[in-house]
Amino acid sequence: MSGRGENPVAPAIRVTDLTVAYGDKTVLWDIDLEIPKGSMVAVVGPNGAGKTTLIKSIQGLLPRVAGVISIHGKSYEKQRKEVSYVPQRGSVDWDFPTSVVDTVKMGSYGDLGWIRRPGRKEHEKALGALEKVDMLEFAQRQISQLSGGQQQRVFLARALVQSASVYLLDEPFQGVDATTEKAIVTILKELVGGGKTVLAVHHDLNTVSEYYERIAILNVGLVASGRVEDVFNSENLMKAYGGKTSFFPERKAAKRAV
Amino acid sequence: MSPHQFDIQLVAIIVAASCSIPGAFLVLRRMSMMTDAISHSILLGIILAFFLVKDLSSPILIIGAAASGVLAISLIEAVNRSRLVKKDASIGIVFPFLFSVAVILLSKYARNVHIDTHSVLLGEIAFAPFDRFILSGMDMGPKSAYVMGSILLLNLFFISFFYKELKVSTFDESFASSIGFRPRLIHYLLMAVVSFTCVGAFDAVGSILVIALIVIPPCCAYLLTDSLSRMIFLSVVFGISAAISGFWVANWLDVNIAGSMAFVCGVFFLVVFLLAPERGLFGIMREKRRQRMDFAEASLLVSLYNQEKGEAVKNHPDSRGMFQSTDFASKVVGFLKGKGEIAVTGGGLFLTEKGRERARMTLEGR
Amino acid sequence: MLEFAVELFSDYTARTILLGAASLGVVSGVVGSYAVLRKQSLVGDVMSHAALPGIVLAFMIVGVKEQLPIFIGAALSAVLAVFVINLVTRNSRVKTDSAMGIALSVFFGLGLVLLTYVQRMPDANQAGLDKFLFGQAEALVEKDVLIIGLTGFFALLVVGLFWKEFKLLCFDPDFGGTMGFSMKSLDILVTAVIVSAIVIGLQTVGVVLMSSMLIAPAVAARQWTGTMGSMVILAAIIAAVSGVTGVALSAGFENVPTGPAVIVCVSVIAFFSVLFSPNGFFTLKLKDARSRREIKKDYVLKALHDLALEHDDPGYAHSERLLALGSEKGFSVKKSLWALRTAGYVESVGEDNWRLTQSGIREVKKLSPLEKDL
Repeated sequence: MSGRGENPVAPAIRVTDLTVAYGDKTVLWDIDLEIPKGSMVAVVGPNGAGKTTLIKSIQGLLPRVAGVISIHGKSYEKQRKEVSYVPQRGSVDWDFPTSVVDTVKMGSYGDLGWIRRPGRKEHEKALGALEKVDMLEFAQRQISQLSGGQQQRVFLARALVQSASVYLLDEPFQGVDATTEKAIVTILKELVGGGKTVLAVHHDLNTVSEYYERIAILNVGLVASGRVEDVFNSENLMKAYGGKTSFFPERKAAKRAV
Repeated sequence: MSPHQFDIQLVAIIVAASCSIPGAFLVLRRMSMMTDAISHSILLGIILAFFLVKDLSSPILIIGAAASGVLAISLIEAVNRSRLVKKDASIGIVFPFLFSVAVILLSKYARNVHIDTHSVLLGEIAFAPFDRFILSGMDMGPKSAYVMGSILLLNLFFISFFYKELKVSTFDESFASSIGFRPRLIHYLLMAVVSFTCVGAFDAVGSILVIALIVIPPCCAYLLTDSLSRMIFLSVVFGISAAISGFWVANWLDVNIAGSMAFVCGVFFLVVFLLAPERGLFGIMREKRRQRMDFAEASLLVSLYNQEKGEAVKNHPDSRGMFQSTDFASKVVGFLKGKGEIAVTGGGLFLTEKGRERARMTLEGR
Repeated sequence: MLEFAVELFSDYTARTILLGAASLGVVSGVVGSYAVLRKQSLVGDVMSHAALPGIVLAFMIVGVKEQLPIFIGAALSAVLAVFVINLVTRNSRVKTDSAMGIALSVFFGLGLVLLTYVQRMPDANQAGLDKFLFGQAEALVEKDVLIIGLTGFFALLVVGLFWKEFKLLCFDPDFGGTMGFSMKSLDILVTAVIVSAIVIGLQTVGVVLMSSMLIAPAVAARQWTGTMGSMVILAAIIAAVSGVTGVALSAGFENVPTGPAVIVCVSVIAFFSVLFSPNGFFTLKLKDARSRREIKKDYVLKALHDLALEHDDPGYAHSERLLALGSEKGFSVKKSLWALRTAGYVESVGEDNWRLTQSGIREVKKLSPLEKDL
């Protein structure tokens, strides 16, 4: 399943000189970022730091002023199928007339290409993904009847169907219940254990050390990136958040040690 | 100019001015298409009230018709609030229905009265001067000028009386309600004012083209100013100019006056949209090009500066690799060379002192 | 009326017209579903109004009332209006709703100007032109129906071929984009399909009301079904039935224009669906009222229990007034008490005094799992 277009030496994602602007507002400035294969990375930063923009522009969804993106050493356009995307839950209309299993099946549309319809195989795959996120019993349910956590699981299942090697998630834990959060983390860690790469926009600084190995701290520019224990410290957070955070990783670590 | 033409223009000016005033708020509240709903729905009110009072210029008819506009709005909001139908579709199923019922009643039962399906579409401002207001034997001018004039006064009174309430509740509804301004009440008052205006304008421009006079002049003004009061003033100016020039265009080509006024409004908007000093299309495009170039220049300078300092050695050996096309890259290099911020020697790019300074400023500036 | 209907269906001309109305219905039902799901209902309204100048211009150029040029003219000016909306919203601070208002009124105004210009010309051919405003199905001839059928067939073919792509476009275009489908092309394709549905409806329903022929069937269908496939099929059926009924009504009664007749039929179905479908307005209201009643009953039961606890006697009786005191103003407990009595959870003691029964006490325990743990 893996290795369709993987280059064994190149990093999973490499972002070079990425600059993005909306109108006269710079949203991302000169970002250089390397995400090693098989790592689980949090993207953190204050509101308006460009986190979603980063995720979207990696996938070419936004026009960029400058910058080069490569996935496993080749351009994103060539590696599209290696990347799967879990957008913010709120970005779609959940009143849309469709069932859970049908929504998950959308993950296979890319492999099918133009015009070909999903069949038996795609259906099985979707059910498999639903089983993984523990939503099999909801397969025929209307998506409008799902809770926030269930919606997020459906989105994750849809991404799993894509069988990609790089997963980009935009705030996967936004507004979901604690059980779902744990379940999603478990699945993501399994993916990473299987050599996949996960990059997630993350809001809750309290859980960073628990969930992720690496982190990218963003505030228009890249403040720091690297292993959580190396760069996730109050100095870098102050740089990104200014005085607006009272979270100090060192203090928390100290507490845990005690 | 014959007295007949003068009268038509007088009515047109009053109609245009009354439409532009509430229009500014509708545009800012993103409710432009609600105007369409109101102007279609009042037809049913006009016809039902007409069956009742049998007099087209009765004040009861005007009030009844305006009430039907407000009712249509509440119906749309009720459908939308049930969360069974999205907002756009709620608008899209309510007013065509009311309008269809009205048109059927009109075709079937009101064949011989003053209004017919044609006047609904075309308006009949050309006939406005024939219906005179006679006071104790004296000709006081066209009746519709008085009817529309009262509506204009109502509109002026409404916005001057509720100016700050309208402003706050348009900008931030929840804040308005937190300081006790009752934004829902303001909303319905505004809808009532718009309904009255549409009823008044119906005679002149029909059901469909009212939206042109209500929405387009404020949109022109919106692209020219940032102040609400100036926006309202400019809308009135645009509305009146469109009414007068629309009349003369129609006169010249011998075509429908309402359609011609709507079209002239469109021409005004086109001109403003293209040429507005800061927000016109040409201005925006120039600004975008400048910005893109600025970004490109700055990032090339910064990247060279970083290499010079030996930190953060880039993955690409050629700084030009950062741009999507080589054409664009050489353009950027050319511009920078022209400004004396870089020098090109032996195929390599080097910062000049001036360029180094700009790179430093860029880095600190953000 | 029945006699008339029999006559209508046996007559060849009438059959042709009804066939036209039915095919138009099928196409607009299917295509309209996309307009509604993409929240572009009002864009459909703009497009149908904006078709007018194209119709008249085509007539002015060709000189006779020929179907195909008029279709092409209508389609081109409708598409131009959409282009104007996009241009204005992308390049200025004017918002979509205003841009739509501008496009609709300017195009329609121009249409009326051209129409009145043409009507001045000493030419007998223009007579039928203003039938495009409110539609006139009687004027449909075999050739028109053939064109409606063919255009509709191609529109449906496109929808069938790009079924899954269109679904992505409507549900999650960003995600669709990451899978390599060009959302821009799909957007253009959907717009083209919608325009073609509008164009073939112009003669039957007219420019003023055609948008409703797209929106109302889809809104109605959505109330009864939860999947896209069944929604599209149901919308097609609803629109076809309304088209045929409207045309028949318009032909059966004097002085009833076809367009408004069709729209009244389809709107009635839409409003009925919104109100009475299994998930509709009334069901929701009923469900709401029922759950409020349940909560209120639970509240009263709990209040009786809590008050009684203060007396260390779970069966202690309290007056109705005392129960209502602990809650909001105007909160009537009488109905809840009666319902609870019917269920056997409370009994009345003397005048106006109430106490829990044994099964009522058991029920309270079930209500408050927390207290059970304590």
